[in-house]
Amino acid sequence: MSGATITEVVKDKVYCLHNPLLLDGRLSAYPKRARGWSSSNCYILKEPEGAYMLDTGYSAHQKSIIAQLDQVLDRRTPLTLFPLRITEYMSVGNALAISCAFNVRECYATTIDALLWLDLESASPREVPDVASKVLRGELMLDPSGCGRRCIVAFNAPIRLLNTAWMYDEVSKVLFSSDMFTHVCSDKAEGPWIGGDDGVTSNAFVRAFLLNTGFWWLEGARCDPLRKNLRQVFETYDIEMICPGYGAILKGREVVKKQFDVLDAVLSDLDRSKVHGRYIPPDLVR
Amino acid sequence: MSDVSPLPTSKRPMPREIGSGVWWLGDCLGQLYNGKIYHGYNAAHMVVGTTAAILSDTGHPKDFPVIEKHIEHVLARNPGVPLRYLFLTHQETPHSGGLGRLLARFPELEVVGDVSDYHLAFPQYEHRMRSLGEGEAIQLGGREFQIVEPVVRDLRTSNWGFDTKTRCLFPGDGFAYSHYHWDGHCGMVAEEATSLDLVDVCAVFQERALFWTTFVDMERYVERMEWQMQRLGVRLVAPSHGLPVTDLERTWPEIRKGLLAGEGKFDDVVKAASDSQTHAS
Repeated sequence: MSGATITEVVKDKVYCLHNPLLLDGRLSAYPKRARGWSSSNCYILKEPEGAYMLDTGYSAHQKSIIAQLDQVLDRRTPLTLFPLRITEYMSVGNALAISCAFNVRECYATTIDALLWLDLESASPREVPDVASKVLRGELMLDPSGCGRRCIVAFNAPIRLLNTAWMYDEVSKVLFSSDMFTHVCSDKAEGPWIGGDDGVTSNAFVRAFLLNTGFWWLEGARCDPLRKNLRQVFETYDIEMICPGYGAILKGREVVKKQFDVLDAVLSDLDRSKVHGRYIPPDLVR
Repeated sequence: MSDVSPLPTSKRPMPREIGSGVWWLGDCLGQLYNGKIYHGYNAAHMVVGTTAAILSDTGHPKDFPVIEKHIEHVLARNPGVPLRYLFLTHQETPHSGGLGRLLARFPELEVVGDVSDYHLAFPQYEHRMRSLGEGEAIQLGGREFQIVEPVVRDLRTSNWGFDTKTRCLFPGDGFAYSHYHWDGHCGMVAEEATSLDLVDVCAVFQERALFWTTFVDMERYVERMEWQMQRLGVRLVAPSHGLPVTDLERTWPEIRKGLLAGEGKFDDVVKAASDSQTHAS
């Protein structure tokens, strides 16, 4: 598929499977007027003993994702799935197909019986692979190596629209931020999908992006608790890179700080102490 | 809160005709919360006209066998009226995840409404998706199914539906509340579930699933819902996640209180979550 690429985010440790998203007004994750390209990102966190896959992508990218997975992972390697947004197609779209092709042992989700949420296609229960469902609740310490070599933390997203989890990898110092920090796109299907100063992150740009997507409700909301939670994440984890579920990867300690600072400033400016709460009609362009 | 039972649990005969030609389909899912088993629906609804029927939402993907049986039951009672349209309130899998199976099962079915994302989620059916916006309508013969403003919503691509014959509103995530399995509420309309504390279950649902409602001034949204219901002349409400409301005058005041009671609940949830650090086994 044109535009499908793999980024080795951290050598032998973290890979991103990029698949192109045409911004033509038909993606709920983007402002209706956004144009250009973005990337749907599935992340592979690898150790010799096992691997994690964060999100499984849209069904339209199924062949591409399976081919990309074959480039970074042996089909016998025990694989655990983490659909970070369990009710969204971009997270769950290929979970079943991947479970049939690879050695998927477990699936973590913020609900129990994760498989019930992943199967959108099978005609018969017999077609569903035997995968153990695990619950992702509170703050969960994980380790794909199984021997203490790779500490990964999963937790409920500090700001979210729907049921969402974030993850942090201590070894790579990467924050996997799901549907936050997703605003960096490209005018080309090929990207670039990883970089430093993206040239667009500003208070005005991020504000507009949030208010014209799933965070439309922030204007005049109680934003201080959200700011507090975000600050806690930034101060708790030593983050050198942000890997969002879609959009470009944001690399570098200063870049990460800027992203959190801008988001904090935007939330501060939208807080009800400064902006009067009102009914926000659908499709209001801000 | 943990989900305890994915098995069918409704004790009332379903599907249930809640208004003339308006059918309530689906099943509920048990959820343990504070030591009690609350149940929540992921409902679908059918509206049957003289020339066509429409399905609003698909129910949870796991419920397809139930939804399929319910659809066949309704169609058997309306011979000669095909299921032609599938309207989806929004792009979350508990509302639209049955799309692929339904389009495979009913070859004449067309998806209508805001069809964002579905061309990527079910690309094999892109040619059977038709974009319609707020203010547009589907003719069913003797009634219209209108697409109306989604006052309480999550994704920006949400919509609500409205049936002109019964004045029935299909509000997706609006009017979302659980019910009590232990009191036999499954399959009841709201007015039959006399022991249901609507304020309690509305607030629980908001805290659990409608995160954003705990941060905003819900009074503004409630006022808009009242404006919309008055403008449309709504008499019946068929939510995706609540028991149908057949007497608005009696039931709306309690739901209203429930929608306003959720503010600030998030803080408790976050504290509880941060207190529960665990290691994967």
